[in-house]
Amino acid sequence: MEKYDVAVIGGGSAGLAALKQLSNLGKQAILIEAGSKIGSKNLSGGILYSKKPKKGQVTNVEQVYENFLDDAPLERKITKYILHSTSKDKVYSMDLTAAHDYQANFGYSVLMNKLNSWFAKQAQESAEKLGGGIIPGVHVKSLSWNEQTGTIIIQTDELDEFEVKAVIAADGVNSEIAEMVGARKKFTTEQLYQGVKVIVKLPEEIIDERFAISSDEGAAHLFAGDITLNHIGGGFLYTNRDTLSVGAVYHLDSLIRNPAEPYTLIDTLLKNPMVSEFIKDKVPIKPDIDKNLSQEEKLRIRFGVAKLIKTWYDIREANFSPSGRERLIESGKYKDVEDIQSTLLSIQEKMSEKFGVTFGTDYLEDEYGAKLVPDGKRCRMKKPFFKNILFIGDAAGRGVFVGPRIEGINVGIDDGVHAANAVARALDKNDFSNSLGEFYSKSIEHSPYTVDMKQIDKDYLKIFLDAAKDVPTDIIGVRYGTILKMMSSDTFRGIAIKFANIIGYDKLIPIIESEETYVKVPTILAEKLGKSISASYLPTIPPIADRIANLNYNDDNLAHIKVLNSSSEYMKKMVILCPSKCYSEEGGKVIIQHEGCIDCGTCSQETEWHHPRGEKGIHYQYG
Amino acid sequence: MGTLNITVIIKLEPDFSEGNVSYNPDGTLNRAETKNTLGPHSGIAAHAAFFGRVMYDAKVFIVTMGPPIADLALQQAQQISDAEELHLYSDRLFAGADTLGTAEVLRVGIEKMPHKMDIVFSGHRASDGETGQTGPQTAWKLGFTFLGNVISYSVDLETRTIRAKRLISLQGSPNVVEEVEAPLPVFISIDPTYKSNYDAVSQRLAFEKYQKEAIQRAQNFKDYLKVFNAKELGVDETLVGLPGSPTIVYKVERVPKSTATRRAEVIDGTDPEQIRKVVTKMKEALSAMVIK
Repeated sequence: MEKYDVAVIGGGSAGLAALKQLSNLGKQAILIEAGSKIGSKNLSGGILYSKKPKKGQVTNVEQVYENFLDDAPLERKITKYILHSTSKDKVYSMDLTAAHDYQANFGYSVLMNKLNSWFAKQAQESAEKLGGGIIPGVHVKSLSWNEQTGTIIIQTDELDEFEVKAVIAADGVNSEIAEMVGARKKFTTEQLYQGVKVIVKLPEEIIDERFAISSDEGAAHLFAGDITLNHIGGGFLYTNRDTLSVGAVYHLDSLIRNPAEPYTLIDTLLKNPMVSEFIKDKVPIKPDIDKNLSQEEKLRIRFGVAKLIKTWYDIREANFSPSGRERLIESGKYKDVEDIQSTLLSIQEKMSEKFGVTFGTDYLEDEYGAKLVPDGKRCRMKKPFFKNILFIGDAAGRGVFVGPRIEGINVGIDDGVHAANAVARALDKNDFSNSLGEFYSKSIEHSPYTVDMKQIDKDYLKIFLDAAKDVPTDIIGVRYGTILKMMSSDTFRGIAIKFANIIGYDKLIPIIESEETYVKVPTILAEKLGKSISASYLPTIPPIADRIANLNYNDDNLAHIKVLNSSSEYMKKMVILCPSKCYSEEGGKVIIQHEGCIDCGTCSQETEWHHPRGEKGIHYQYG
Repeated sequence: MGTLNITVIIKLEPDFSEGNVSYNPDGTLNRAETKNTLGPHSGIAAHAAFFGRVMYDAKVFIVTMGPPIADLALQQAQQISDAEELHLYSDRLFAGADTLGTAEVLRVGIEKMPHKMDIVFSGHRASDGETGQTGPQTAWKLGFTFLGNVISYSVDLETRTIRAKRLISLQGSPNVVEEVEAPLPVFISIDPTYKSNYDAVSQRLAFEKYQKEAIQRAQNFKDYLKVFNAKELGVDETLVGLPGSPTIVYKVERVPKSTATRRAEVIDGTDPEQIRKVVTKMKEALSAMVIK
C-alpha cells in the first residue's frame, strides 16, 4: 500500500490553504478532490475578506499566497456596502460601509471556480516539490485505522487504497468524513442556511456607471424586508468584474416551517424594482421564424441569428471593457476603438435588417447554483477533530454570520492554516495521538473568528446601531422588537451594547435573527421612509427547468442519494425546497431523480447522502 | 531498469466536427475550406503513449508525414503525450502517397531516430482514409511484432516484455479479450476503446505532473519540432510518394442519400380529438412491440 504523510480531503479554499501551508512548512501532502477540476464544485456568495482583529491573530489569504494581491483572479474590491429594506416598490437604504470595513484589510468579490483554480495552481507548485500534489476526480468512500500504527487507510471510488498519518477533512458543509467516522452528526436545519445564487452578465463599464464605482471598486447590496417572503435571511447583490452575483440566503428551519421554492425566493429578489434596475441590460430579441418556410430555410435563419447574437455579445462585452478593447486591437482584427464600435453597429444593423432581430431591455442570467451554509454560531464543532482527522471550514461548521456580517472563505483559510500547523508539529514530533487534535482544537478556539462565533462584537454592534440612528423613533411602534428600540432610540443605543452583553449572545441571537428583524421592521422602514423606485421593464426570469438545463453535469448512472422514508413530512417538503427540483410526489410517495442534482445537501437530513463519485455531478463555470 | 522509448505515428485529418467541414458541389471534401485537426484515433494513440510516460517515465516521440501545416497535429499530440521530440516528414516528393508509400517514409524516420524504439503506436485508422493499413505496413517494414486492437498494456522493464490486452470482435460472436505477451520492440495499433487507467496515488501524481509539463511543452512546441525533407531523411525516392504507391483509385462513387423512412406529423395539443389519435397510434405501436 502506498504511504503518504498527510491527505487533505476536499479542494475548496480551506483545503487548498491547508495544502499550501503544509507545503510552505516543507511537509509532504496530497489533496484529494472529487470534482474533475479544482473549483468545479465550489460556490460562494462571495466576498473574500482579509481581517485585522484588534485582539488575537488570524492568517489571511495574502499571507498564505504571497502573490495573491498581484496575481489572483479577484473581481472587485468592495468599497460600498449598503443594506436595503424593501416593501413593494419602496426601498429604504442604510450605508453599512463602515461595518464592512470594520477590522478589515480588504474585501474582494470573488468567483470560486476561477479563484480556487488559482489557489490550486499555487498550492500544486509548492506541494509537487515535496512529492505531494493535487489529485482531482477522486471521491473518498471510507476511512479506517490501522490498529497497530494508528495510520489512516483511505479508500476511494477510483484509486487503490493508501495510507496516511493524518487527514485534514475539508469536504464541506455536507462532510461525509465527519459522518462516516462519527465526528459529528449531520447539521440540523436550525444550524444551516440555504443559499441560492444566479450569475447575471453585465458589461464591465456598465457596472462601473450603474453602481457609481471606478474600475477597481465594487459594491455590495444587501436586501431585507418583503423580498424575504417572510423568511429569516435576505438577499444580496455583489458586483464582479463583468458579472453580478445575485443571491438569496435563508435559514433552513425558517424555510422548513413555511416552505418556499428557492427559485421563487431568488425570483422575488430579481423582480424587486431596485434589483431589476441594477441587472438590466440591452438584449437582442429573436424574431419569430415564418412557419411556412422550408425546414432548411428555417434552420439557416436560426443558425444565422444564433451566430450573429453570439458575435454581438462577444464584441459588445469587449467593447465595454478597457482590457477587452485592448485584447481586440492586439489581436489585429481591429484597428482602433472606433473600428470596434463601427463593427458592433454594423452587426447590429445586419441583425435587424437581415433577420428582423429587435433590441429590448431585459437581463441575462448565466448560471444558477445553490449551497448550504453552516451557521457558525449555532453549529461550529466544539472539538473539530476525531483521532488524527482535523476538520476545517464548512466541514467543521465554521463561519461568521451576524446580520450583515457574512464571512466564510476567510474563516476556512484561517482554519486550514491552523490545521496545517498542527499537523506539521505532529510530523516533527512523530506524535499522531489525540494530542494532535487537542492542539489544533485549542489553537482554533483562540482564533478571533471562533470568538466572533461565540459572542457579539460590541464595537461591530455599535457601528451597526450608528448606521441606524437616523431612523425616527415615532415611525415604528414599540411592539416591533428589541433591536429596533436599540436602533431608534438614542438612549437605548447608548446602553444597547451593555444590554447585549447582559442578556448574553445565546439569548440575543433569537432576537437578532427573528422575523421582526429580517422581515417586519425592514418592511415598515421601507413603507414609511423608503423612496419609490419604478422598474422600466419586467425581467424575463428563466423557469427552473431552463436554469438546470443550462448547467454542466457529468451524469452518474449510480444515484448518490437514497430516500430513506418516501412518505416523511420532511421529504415532502423537499419537493418544494430542493433547488434543482429533483423531488416529486406521486401517490403520497416522494421520489428522486438525481440527474439534475447540484449537490447542495438540503435533503441530506433524511436521505442517505453522498457526494457523487469522482468527476461526476455538477460542474459550475463561475461558482 | 532500462528506459522505454515510444514513438507515435499520427495524422493531420479533416475536422469532421460540427461546423468545420466544407464540401464541394460534387459532394467531395473541400480540403482548402475544411479545418484540420489531429485525427481522433491518433489522439487515442497519443494517450496510450502518455500512459507509458506516466507509468515508466518513457521518452515519447511523435512523427507524422504531411504538409507543413501538419505541425498543428504534432502540437496537439504533444499536449496529450508530453512528447520531447516532434518529427515532421515533409516534402513535395511525398505527395500522392498511399499507405505503403507513407509507411516507407515512417519506417526510415523511425529507424533514423536518435534512440532505438521499444514501442511504436498508431491509431486504429484515419477518419479520412479509413483503410487502417498504414500502421500494420509500417510494423511490417520495421520488422516489429504487430499487436492490433490493443485496449490496455503494461511493460516489464526488467525482462523487456510487454503484456497487452487485445479486443477481438468477430461478427456474429461475442467479443473476446485476448492477453498476449511479446518481447520489445513491438508495434501497437490502438483500439478505439483504449483507456488509460491510473489506479495508484503515485500514478495520479505523476499524471498531474507530466500533464502540466505537456501543456507547457505544447505552448512552445516549435522548440521541440524537427522538419525533415526527403533528402535529409535519405529515403529511396522510388519507394515514396506517387512512385512508391501501387494503389490505383479506379472509381469513386457517391454514397446515395438514404431516403427517410420516418414521417413526422404535427399534432395540435389543444385538440382532444387529435390527442385521441395519438393515443390510438401509441397503443398500436406498443402492441406491435410485444414479443410473441
